[in-house]
Amino acid sequence: MSSVALVGNPNTGKTSLFNTLTSSYEYVGNWAGVTVEKKVGSLKNGAGKLIDLPGIYSLHPLSRDEGVAAQYLIEESPEALVNIVDASQLERNLLLTLQLLEYGKPTVLGLNMIDVAKARGIQVSPEILQKQLGIPVLPLIARTGKGSGEVLTVLKETSSIPPVSFRLDYGELVEQAIQAIEHELKQTAGLPNHRWIALQLMEQNPVVLELLRKRFDTGRLLGICDAVQSELQSRKLALTLPQWIRSTRKEYIHSLCLEAMDTTAQKPHTLTERLDSILTHRYFGLPLFLVFMYAMFKATFDWVGGPLSDIVDGFIAGPFSDGANSLLQSIGASEFTHALIVDGIIGGVGGVIVFVPQIFILFLMISFLEDSGYMARVCLLMDSTMERMGLNGKAFIPFIIGFGCNVPAIMAARSIEQPKDRMLTTLLMPLMSCSARLPVYLLFAAVFFPAQQATAVLAMYVMGVVFALILCKLFSKHLFKNESSVFIIELPPYRMPQLKTLGRSTWEKGKGFLRKAGTIILAGSVIIWLMSYAGPTGFNVDMDHSFLAKFGGLIAPVLQPLGFGTWQAGSTLVPGFLAKEVVVSTMNIIYHTPDNAGLENQIAQVFTPLSSISFMAFILLYIPCLATVGVIKKETASWKWTFFSMGYSLALAYLVSLIIFQGGRLLGWS
Amino acid sequence: MASSSCSLLHLQPGSTGSIYRIEGMNPILRRRLADLGVSEGVKISLKGKGPFMGPITLECNGQLFAIRRKEASRIEVNVS
Repeated sequence: MSSVALVGNPNTGKTSLFNTLTSSYEYVGNWAGVTVEKKVGSLKNGAGKLIDLPGIYSLHPLSRDEGVAAQYLIEESPEALVNIVDASQLERNLLLTLQLLEYGKPTVLGLNMIDVAKARGIQVSPEILQKQLGIPVLPLIARTGKGSGEVLTVLKETSSIPPVSFRLDYGELVEQAIQAIEHELKQTAGLPNHRWIALQLMEQNPVVLELLRKRFDTGRLLGICDAVQSELQSRKLALTLPQWIRSTRKEYIHSLCLEAMDTTAQKPHTLTERLDSILTHRYFGLPLFLVFMYAMFKATFDWVGGPLSDIVDGFIAGPFSDGANSLLQSIGASEFTHALIVDGIIGGVGGVIVFVPQIFILFLMISFLEDSGYMARVCLLMDSTMERMGLNGKAFIPFIIGFGCNVPAIMAARSIEQPKDRMLTTLLMPLMSCSARLPVYLLFAAVFFPAQQATAVLAMYVMGVVFALILCKLFSKHLFKNESSVFIIELPPYRMPQLKTLGRSTWEKGKGFLRKAGTIILAGSVIIWLMSYAGPTGFNVDMDHSFLAKFGGLIAPVLQPLGFGTWQAGSTLVPGFLAKEVVVSTMNIIYHTPDNAGLENQIAQVFTPLSSISFMAFILLYIPCLATVGVIKKETASWKWTFFSMGYSLALAYLVSLIIFQGGRLLGWS
Repeated sequence: MASSSCSLLHLQPGSTGSIYRIEGMNPILRRRLADLGVSEGVKISLKGKGPFMGPITLECNGQLFAIRRKEASRIEVNVS
């Protein structure tokens, strides 16, 4: 089996191509840093494996996602590389291409976004590039899949890709040093291309240096580098060796581009600049962002999601439950089985399934934001606020993804350059209200604030963000060394998301929710139902004497000051740690109602408007779910920080709910 | 025409200058800018300024990006 790696600058369409060339699907979006992990897929024609790597500008990693790519190239040995370059940004992209050619593996250049380049009046000649670089150059439009067939054909026989003959002359001084280093490396087996190692070493690539340090004493090698650097300085050729190497490459690329590129008809990004002048306007930008968010919630809950959800609810409560009832009766199911299926499974899982429309529409909106290019602008708009809080605007991309699900959001934090900022973003992520918490708000908002559902739900999201900002200030001041954060963000051109991509990306996000409904929510529902059915005195007990009531009763006194000190509320919280959706499932089971209308009636009797707000706030804040805890552990590589994230959120939730309930009572609300 | 050098921040939005010197900038940011092709001698345009003294939008080699004002003030440009 051969393996081929996709390498290129961020946001050049590597993952789009990966999705067309393999039968797998990975996350795509329009900002730099969507892919943060190495992804492996099988080529459609069965020719081997394709590896999708995070985008990199050079082999010298700054952020953690770039580290993944650099590490891969150095430690593993793909048979061939496909280097994707953005035709509208050729000069910048080729800087990496030269380093990849020096790496020495057979390489194919995928000249992507030729449509974008053409629209901007830039003509690139693949023939001239091919002739000058000595590697196959294939024009592509990865977004639509145009040209991917040719790539697949070339990759069918990786051995037929010609070996790289490209060699850039770095001048006599440096070439001598390269030879000296190559000579030193001669005895060591299992290293990538020696010339490449020598050059990367001269550029002070930390990953290469680390690799060499493991093998032998690098003192002599570094001595060679120092010597050539002082020689360059004394001849006044360059200030540093890395700078010399870089400018040699840039000079070459510049002359190559003059030959291969026709930019005489080049136009500015007219549409993007016009949109930016409104969307990132110094006064209107932020209010517009808030209006968009509000419209997004309004659409999700009032305009589209709500009515659709009512239809699903009607179906589950009506025809579906009735059908299940009569079917169970006709096959003579025992009372136990009957209750398990109707009260436990249909009640528990069905109670969550009714929210599928809202959740999918929310995912659709997030996908639209991701694909349009607006995400990067949100970071820009939020940066000054975030800077005051000790973080940088880039954290807003993970935060918005977090509204869908916290798990991929924490992964997305990898593209943030500074370790401190990355850690803060990870720790604060659980405060971003994910789609799993949505059913709780929707349920309570429908009961207590029927006229302002969207506003009530939006308020919960805003509360999460506000607490994240406050805690961010607190944490960055007291928990971390005071290093100032940096901020730089590329602003990709806006584009209209394609229906196909939107549908795919919404489905991939929503699929996870459906899978949870069939696994963890189902299992949770069955266990909860069993606990409510059985008690110390046997089966089919009155629910107030069940194990569930005993268990919930243990927690209830603690929750008393928060306004929901009932065993019913208490018993929803612990299973909610597995998956927040189970909170609603548990309520459905406890209150014995297969449909939402019934549940809403019950809730209206147990909660007051004030205690419902307190409860919603508690659910918003109280703990990251099990999957999120797992990914926090993985990304921080520290149990200390993992427990910290659980501990602070629990303390915060208790405090906030206490203030809401007791404060509200003092003000005379109920 | 005589050329004069000034901080990038003092450019009029929409105008272009060529980078004369970058000094005293955070090294991580300096590297990232170099990755985007921002270095001495290159033409750079100021596109717009963000809200609340927030980041400014720049264009260099056809790539749009944003950095904070404080850092942008480290970039000196020649305007002709």
